[in-house]
Amino acid sequence: MSFLLAAALAVGLLVALPVAAHLLRRGRSEVHDFPPARLVPVAPPVARQRSRLEDRLLFLVRALLIALLALLGATPFVRCSRLSLDRSAGASVALSIIVDDSLSMRAESHQDGSRHHRAIEGARELLGSAREGDAVAIVLAGRPARLALAATTDLGAARAAIEQLEPSDRATDIAGAVQLARSALDQLPHVDKRVVLLSDLAGGKVPDGKPPVWTPLAEIRTPVADCGIANVELRGRRVTALVACSTADAAKGRRLEIVESKDPTASNPAGGGKTELPTVDLLPRAGVQTLTLELAESRKNLDVRITGTDALRHDDEAPIAPEASALTIGVVSDRTTASVETGGPPIVEQALAALETEGLVMPIPVVPDDKSDLDRYAAIILDDPAGIAADARFALREWLEQGGVSLALLGPGAPTAQLGANFEPFIDGAVRWEKTKAAGGDPSTVAWLGAEGASLAQLNPRGRALFDKNKNARVLAKWDDGAPFLLEVDIGRGLAMTASLPSSVNESDFALRPAFLALLDHVIQEATRRTGPRRTIAGTAWAFPATSNVSVVGPAGKIEATESMQSTRDDCPPGASEPPPGCEENGLRQRLLVADVRGRYTVRVDDEQQERIVTIDADEILRPPREANETETGSNASAENALVDASPEFAMLLLGAFVLELLFRLWRRATPSGTHRRATS
Amino acid sequence: MDSIRSALDWGSLAPLRLKARQVADGVYAGNHRSLRRGSGIEFGGHRSYVPGDDLRWLDHRALMRHGKLLVREFETETDRALRLVIDASASMGYRGPNAPGAKLAYAGLIAAAMSRIALASGDPVALDWIGGTAARRLPATGGREAFERLLGTLESVEPSGDLSESLSDVELALAPIARHARKGAVVILLSDLIDLPKGSIDRFTALGARGRTLVVVQVLDPAEAEFPFEGPVRLRAVEGSGFVETDARAAREGYLARVGQITSAWEDNLVARGGRLVKATSASDATEVVRAILLATEGKAA
Repeated sequence: MSFLLAAALAVGLLVALPVAAHLLRRGRSEVHDFPPARLVPVAPPVARQRSRLEDRLLFLVRALLIALLALLGATPFVRCSRLSLDRSAGASVALSIIVDDSLSMRAESHQDGSRHHRAIEGARELLGSAREGDAVAIVLAGRPARLALAATTDLGAARAAIEQLEPSDRATDIAGAVQLARSALDQLPHVDKRVVLLSDLAGGKVPDGKPPVWTPLAEIRTPVADCGIANVELRGRRVTALVACSTADAAKGRRLEIVESKDPTASNPAGGGKTELPTVDLLPRAGVQTLTLELAESRKNLDVRITGTDALRHDDEAPIAPEASALTIGVVSDRTTASVETGGPPIVEQALAALETEGLVMPIPVVPDDKSDLDRYAAIILDDPAGIAADARFALREWLEQGGVSLALLGPGAPTAQLGANFEPFIDGAVRWEKTKAAGGDPSTVAWLGAEGASLAQLNPRGRALFDKNKNARVLAKWDDGAPFLLEVDIGRGLAMTASLPSSVNESDFALRPAFLALLDHVIQEATRRTGPRRTIAGTAWAFPATSNVSVVGPAGKIEATESMQSTRDDCPPGASEPPPGCEENGLRQRLLVADVRGRYTVRVDDEQQERIVTIDADEILRPPREANETETGSNASAENALVDASPEFAMLLLGAFVLELLFRLWRRATPSGTHRRATS
Repeated sequence: MDSIRSALDWGSLAPLRLKARQVADGVYAGNHRSLRRGSGIEFGGHRSYVPGDDLRWLDHRALMRHGKLLVREFETETDRALRLVIDASASMGYRGPNAPGAKLAYAGLIAAAMSRIALASGDPVALDWIGGTAARRLPATGGREAFERLLGTLESVEPSGDLSESLSDVELALAPIARHARKGAVVILLSDLIDLPKGSIDRFTALGARGRTLVVVQVLDPAEAEFPFEGPVRLRAVEGSGFVETDARAAREGYLARVGQITSAWEDNLVARGGRLVKATSASDATEVVRAILLATEGKAA
């Protein structure tokens, strides 16, 4: 603090002068010698009241004047903490604002409200300092990261977009959001590009790269105490709740109790039995704890609630997911050929376990021939099937039409199909198994699998299944000699995929490649989107055919659907100027609905109604906010000064105070008669 | 003398001798005549000698007989002695912010001017006090020396005393007048009338019997007459130790009404006895006030 700053602020001490004058005047009236004093009527209350009122108003105005004067004198040194863009040489700026809308941003971490509220304020302040010519993009950091507003120079549109942002229950995807923010600025001609991250940083590290990321708003990174219910599931009459607590203090003295649902989307809210609902104490420790409660009778539409309060009350209550709501994957395989020589479950089951999905993996000896038996599965993987019998094909098709996802890994057993058995609806016609000289898949055709797709280049196959591509099928991957490696075909709301290699390591190295896991993960994601597990994490998109009539109602009301093209098909590349004919007919256009608030949702697809539960990611509760490192706080060259000179504001306030003081004095002069009448009355 | 004057705030009313002469000279003295003659004078009694008395009237025989200095008093048929009664209570020492001097100083000026006029006409002048310190009573005497004695007495008096509850002080001051003032005497009371005790009106108006002329000159300070204060004030009575806390704007009408009531009570009683009330403030033109008093002595309104 410089001497001038101290001197300017010391002027503020003069505010004591009107206080002293006020106290002196208020303490005693003027004393006069006056011989006929006994003839003067006594009227102390009126005098005191009038004096008190006038003195108080005058005191306030004059004290305000002095304080503002002192602040105005200090403003060259004192700056207001407000986010703003500092420009080098006055050039226009391209700015990506990342607003974290994850669950942890709902926490009340400071007196002004939630972290999300402060982040929105920060975004407003940044936009307030933007000028004509600046380009602004808005990215949301809830998982998955989304582009809320593509880079635009329309600052009004940016402000409108900011005002529409709402917090969600999503997990955090800082890395994805930063990459998205950087890519949003790539094509802009601005020299000065900035990325601002308004987040509590409770989820992931900021990736290195340019432009560097500035993370202001340190106040929203204050750790808070919170316990939340990540997931609750009903099995029989047993309720299993996954509770996460950020600190041990947050769990102390709190209980988990079952309550009747008040959710309007519940089919029979507040109904049920008359028995007392159980409760259980939370363990006083940080971390995840699994608590079990036993219901006296089977009940529906129940919620679970944590008693007491904490910094994030939104996650203290959750609906109980109905039984079998988890994603269930059925695996049909011959354990003698599909297992490795060292023993253990079949390779496909081991691979699914390695993916660590929340879904259940259930081995099935044969494809069920009754559709009701298939309803419990979200996906079915057939490993080297020897054809599918007619009844099973009929049930499978019906199941697929209602959103099932199935993958057939065809192998040497395929040509041995019995009479009447074939591979419909996967492919039409016969399947041949032949030796091949192809080394593996064409990496250029499997880019949609990501980096893992390149591992298909060397599969060392002993043979491969050859089949004819039917007219509705899409080739997802090809052999390096051009033969189809992987096909998929939409059947109703479902999806049937066919690979030309089995999982057996005796036939190829396919199951040993990362692409195999990526393929299984793709199957699970498709199953999640199409049939869904009945329980998903907030932010998961539910996909439905564009032709279906979908209505989803959740705790926040009805969810609007968005249509999009599936973007990973090489047959129908996204953004192509002239999409190949048939893409529309193939049903690639789909309808997406994203539930980003936890709770119970009623999904109505055409005439079918189902209930889905959206949960939260426990990591959102467990991961504490962290302080930004030196790069993230903006100490480098492109970071901005978060402080701005507040002289104009103080000057305007001072002027206003002067006017107020003048008006007040005029008012005092204009109203003596009125006061006098009041006194004498 | 300076120390005495410091007790009473004379302000711009000093020096009293010159001011009184200026006032008196500016006033038409009247046309009555009461030059006392040596022969045909009827003996009126003895009284104690006071310094300045004409030694010709010293009763040597009484001195020889009683060992006391006594002077002989005589009465004439045209005796129009001027009996001045001045209120010298503490309240008369008040001088407000806009007054040229204290009320008592102003009363002294009026008294001196009236005395000069009376003495110039050959009428004796007597002086009595209500309250006050060093308030020396002067018997009815005439001549140049009488004026000088009166000036000395006026200049030496100090205002003091609370008369509001002490009717005896008033009676003590008025008793010599009741006893000695003859028919045709003019009795002038100079007071603010504010702190005189109950019964003062009756005692004073009783002097109007036996053909005496009563005139009351109410001398107020401009502040007392106008109550010019503003805002919340605490008023300290000079007599007594009480404070009155009030809002000046709110209390003004009530105060002025009470002062008016007191003044009206005196005026009504005086008029009933053929007397007159002359109102003045210490900022009033003394010449005009003296002229009004003279008119009042003749039963005319100013």
